[in-house]
Amino acid sequence: MKLLTRTSRYYLIISIVAYILSGLIFYRLLDNIFAKQLDGTLSEEKMLIEETINYADSVPDFRSVFGHMIDITILNSPQHKVEYIRDTLMYDGERGSFETFRHLFAENTSIQGKGYTINIYKPLRDTEKLIAEIVIAVALLFIGLLVLLVLVNYFIARRVWIPFYRTINSLTHYQINQDKPLTLTKTDIYEFNHPNEALEKMSKKIRQDYINLKEFNENAAHELLTPVAIIKSKLELLIQRENLDEQQLRMISAVFEATNRMSKLNQGLLLISKIDNNQFDKTEEIDLAQIFDKTLEHFEEMSEHLGIVVSKNYLHPAKLTMNPILAEILITNLVSNAIRHNLPSGRIEIELSESSFTVSNTGQPLKTDPSQLFERFRKSENNPESVGLGLAIVQKIINLYRMNVTYTYHDGIHTLKISY
Amino acid sequence: MKVLLIEDEKELSSSITEYLQRENYLCEAVLTYEDAIEKINLYQYDCIIVDINLPDGSGLNVIRALKQLKSETGIIIISAKNSLDDKVDGLGIGADDYLTKPFHLPELNARVKSIIRRRNFGGINEILFNDIRVLPENMEVTVNNHLLVLTKKEYDLLIFFLSNRDRVVTKEAIAEHLWGDEMDMADSFDFIYTHIKNLRKKIMEKGGEDYIRTIYGMGYKFTDSAV
Repeated sequence: MKLLTRTSRYYLIISIVAYILSGLIFYRLLDNIFAKQLDGTLSEEKMLIEETINYADSVPDFRSVFGHMIDITILNSPQHKVEYIRDTLMYDGERGSFETFRHLFAENTSIQGKGYTINIYKPLRDTEKLIAEIVIAVALLFIGLLVLLVLVNYFIARRVWIPFYRTINSLTHYQINQDKPLTLTKTDIYEFNHPNEALEKMSKKIRQDYINLKEFNENAAHELLTPVAIIKSKLELLIQRENLDEQQLRMISAVFEATNRMSKLNQGLLLISKIDNNQFDKTEEIDLAQIFDKTLEHFEEMSEHLGIVVSKNYLHPAKLTMNPILAEILITNLVSNAIRHNLPSGRIEIELSESSFTVSNTGQPLKTDPSQLFERFRKSENNPESVGLGLAIVQKIINLYRMNVTYTYHDGIHTLKISY
Repeated sequence: MKVLLIEDEKELSSSITEYLQRENYLCEAVLTYEDAIEKINLYQYDCIIVDINLPDGSGLNVIRALKQLKSETGIIIISAKNSLDDKVDGLGIGADDYLTKPFHLPELNARVKSIIRRRNFGGINEILFNDIRVLPENMEVTVNNHLLVLTKKEYDLLIFFLSNRDRVVTKEAIAEHLWGDEMDMADSFDFIYTHIKNLRKKIMEKGGEDYIRTIYGMGYKFTDSAV
């Protein structure tokens, strides 16, 4: 969820709750004020009636004065002095329905010692209507205000957060091995500028470290070439000596093998750093089927020797734009991997389709975590001679051309699928 | 036969020189571009082995200079691994062969011999070794005048042995010669054994001698003298 959505949502929920609560309080207050006013009017009218009764010593027709229901009854015996005001439901003849009325009841003893009761009824309909109108008006005002506030909040927040999203976007698309260091857009907001500067500084440092490391790797691998070549050549001269005994030859043989491994390792690392340094930038359209055919022919003798049956299934012509050397290395590594980790008399299946190709081979299940399959120096125990760079190089090439590789193992078959 | 080696790494240069001198080549070695230019202007060579990366210039320019002199010299480039551009450029301007470092000395030797053989227009282009006779142009091998039918790999193996006769060649060198360096698998040594067995059998069937000696886990030696 976006930060903006979340804040807007909270803002909306809290505003609605606050508006409902304050609306209720407002309604109660309004209701109270009107009730008090009504009761005051009723009391005043009662006092006026009483004054008139006392003055005139008779019961005049108040109905014509006040225009609503007033009922005065003379009692024969004096009564207690009682007075109350309450709501009551009465049939309204004019409207032909039951309506709520405010009812004042007073009992007193002042008409020549005789008691009387006064009942004054005032309809509540009008005040209720008034309250309803006020409430609706206020509610509409509130809703309008709420919508406006939420919108304003949303747009302000969206505007204010633009630099932040810009930074996020730059960070997502930044790759450490690209030419330029990370540059983030300047803003005049401290909270954004400050982390941006920190990020730029950090990425600059990381990039510098990365470049140094890359250079070191390349230099180390490159500088090792000559010593390895010298060792190899000297060993080849040494074994030409006539007077070597078997033990000496075995020792030289061990040195030879170790040197060869070192040499292969070195070449692999050099290749990886060359891929990293984009030294294979010349691309052309290559036909995967053609490369597979060539590679399989190259390995034919070995697969035949191991009794491995290779089947090709070219469903769709697969043409890719990439560096021809890297394409060849990619296919060679995949095929040699499929042979190396195969079972005696196993199978290899190659399938080319429109958007991907797969190399499958029979083999023992992996003993290591498949996610580490493409890491450098991961090698199976079955092949201690292997240098462990083959699939790391595959991964490098695949990354370079923004392809995707997935590994699956199912029913004793390892499958590497490369999608492009 | 005169060979000029242009290689700036002294130790590597001395190894190559030592190996080639045993072939009775007159092998001269220079370490710099400038010395190389001086040499090619003064003398004629049958073959020049040139490193591309020299401290004071490019080996490619040595080749260009040779071509300007209308030299018929055979040229082999030796260069660091995977420098495809060097290979394309080098072969484009008239080099005969290209070898990536690090290489096996028997491999370089075989390539030098092959070039010298091809350049030897006057004489008959053939390889003789006791009862074995090879006509490389027709890829034809006879033993005691009997035609030997060999597979491509067996033929390549025989030529490789004949180029490095009386030398110990390692299994790795043979494997790389026959299959290139992608076959860095232990299994490839089994094939070598198979091919050697077949080659040996075929030669002996035609009444030839068994010249292939096994050198303790190290490799093989093609020789007519006892080890």
